[in-house]
Amino acid sequence: MSEAHAMLPSANHDELAEQLFVRDLKVYLTEAIEPHFRERAEALDPGPASNARIETVYERLHEDETFRAWAMLRRTSQDMLWAEIADSVHRQSNDLEEAASAAPQLGSLTLDPEFEQPAYLAAGDVHLMPGGYVHDTGDVTQGAIMDRGGAVYMLGRNGGLMNDVRGHTLVSHLYTLYPDFAPADILELGCGIGASLVPVAKAFPDARVHGVDVGGSMLRYALARANHLGAAVHLSQDNAERTRFPDESFDLVFSCVLLHETSPDAISRIMEESYRLLKPGGIVAHLEVPQRYESMDLWGKIRGEIEADYNNEPNWKAAISADYGPLLASVGFKDVAVGYQAATGNPLRGEGRFTDQSEGVFRSWFVASARK
Amino acid sequence: MKNIPPVNRQQAIHGQSPGEARLMAMVAALTSELAVTRERLDTVERLAEAAGLFTREAIENFAPAQEQAKERDGLRRRIIDRVFRPLREDARRKGESK
Repeated sequence: MSEAHAMLPSANHDELAEQLFVRDLKVYLTEAIEPHFRERAEALDPGPASNARIETVYERLHEDETFRAWAMLRRTSQDMLWAEIADSVHRQSNDLEEAASAAPQLGSLTLDPEFEQPAYLAAGDVHLMPGGYVHDTGDVTQGAIMDRGGAVYMLGRNGGLMNDVRGHTLVSHLYTLYPDFAPADILELGCGIGASLVPVAKAFPDARVHGVDVGGSMLRYALARANHLGAAVHLSQDNAERTRFPDESFDLVFSCVLLHETSPDAISRIMEESYRLLKPGGIVAHLEVPQRYESMDLWGKIRGEIEADYNNEPNWKAAISADYGPLLASVGFKDVAVGYQAATGNPLRGEGRFTDQSEGVFRSWFVASARK
Repeated sequence: MKNIPPVNRQQAIHGQSPGEARLMAMVAALTSELAVTRERLDTVERLAEAAGLFTREAIENFAPAQEQAKERDGLRRRIIDRVFRPLREDARRKGESK
């Protein structure tokens, strides 16, 4: 379990109790109640002969007021999480601004006052986080809310308060498949608050490390966070589908769970942009959730619909259905590798596992990588 | 209340009445408040016991001073807003709708 850092908002006695309550409510709804609806869904299954199997079960489940009550409590737990964390962050906003000012100035931040968020983000706040990724009141609060909220949301399964296992796992993937790779220029598309960017920057300390994302507050927070953690990162407000950088700027372009928050068209454009940005011989690596739509069971697919509708995850299905091998090849990449990297918080050369079988959620991450 | 923006695109649970949805949200908030309060009380009782500060009887006999009573009013009103926030949010949306 990694430790916290200087920018992470703290929680006082009652705030911590509130956050632990939401965590335990989520666990309860998942472990004590959800299995009953899995059973119910199986009973309602019209079978593989039906041409609207998922739609039928989803609709029939909603006819039951108990299912609706559960779905509502699930959504409510998410609303509560953000409301409580927002209150807690606003209480300490002055301290957070001071902490941001006190950080050593290692990296840089370039904001774009003309920036327009992509339509798929304007359509709805992902994960129901009020204001979404772009909300910016000129300070670090939205970033702080996202960081603390993310750590609570992951229920401690992704590197605790650092929430950084995905970044470490991406490094492990590079060590496994490209053992001699020593990138000089690195870019993360959709870096968020830098949870994955920092471990990648630390793994390649001689590289010049860039990150792009859509929100000013999020990036301001990400810079202060990385500075406190001793990582020099250069952040800019950019759309991952078309960034500000010239052709062939980077040796490594990567993303961590970005694609399922975009759109089907955006996924293709992000692949094209990754290719444009890489120098010849450069490596692209996109890490995603370890589920694949075609191998999900009935309940997995229903659960995905619930997440799409009630937790604003509209692109989950496209992202886990996309055929990344041919997609990467079609934009020009070669040596395409698609599979599952074993999750790790401590990547070591020679010890990573990349296979064609997922070891399960939070134990593996899906990775598609290739060479230009 | 702090100026937290409302969530963009929050779908109703298909087929659920707004009243039922609101009630579930309020029950969840209420349960949270109770859990937090109970946890805080547990902290206080354990600390007091460990320090030999006061007895259960002293709690029963406590009467707040005027300033203390005012602070308690604030605590109580905060709880009311926490529990009934879903109603306030719905009312706000009604107020904003043309």
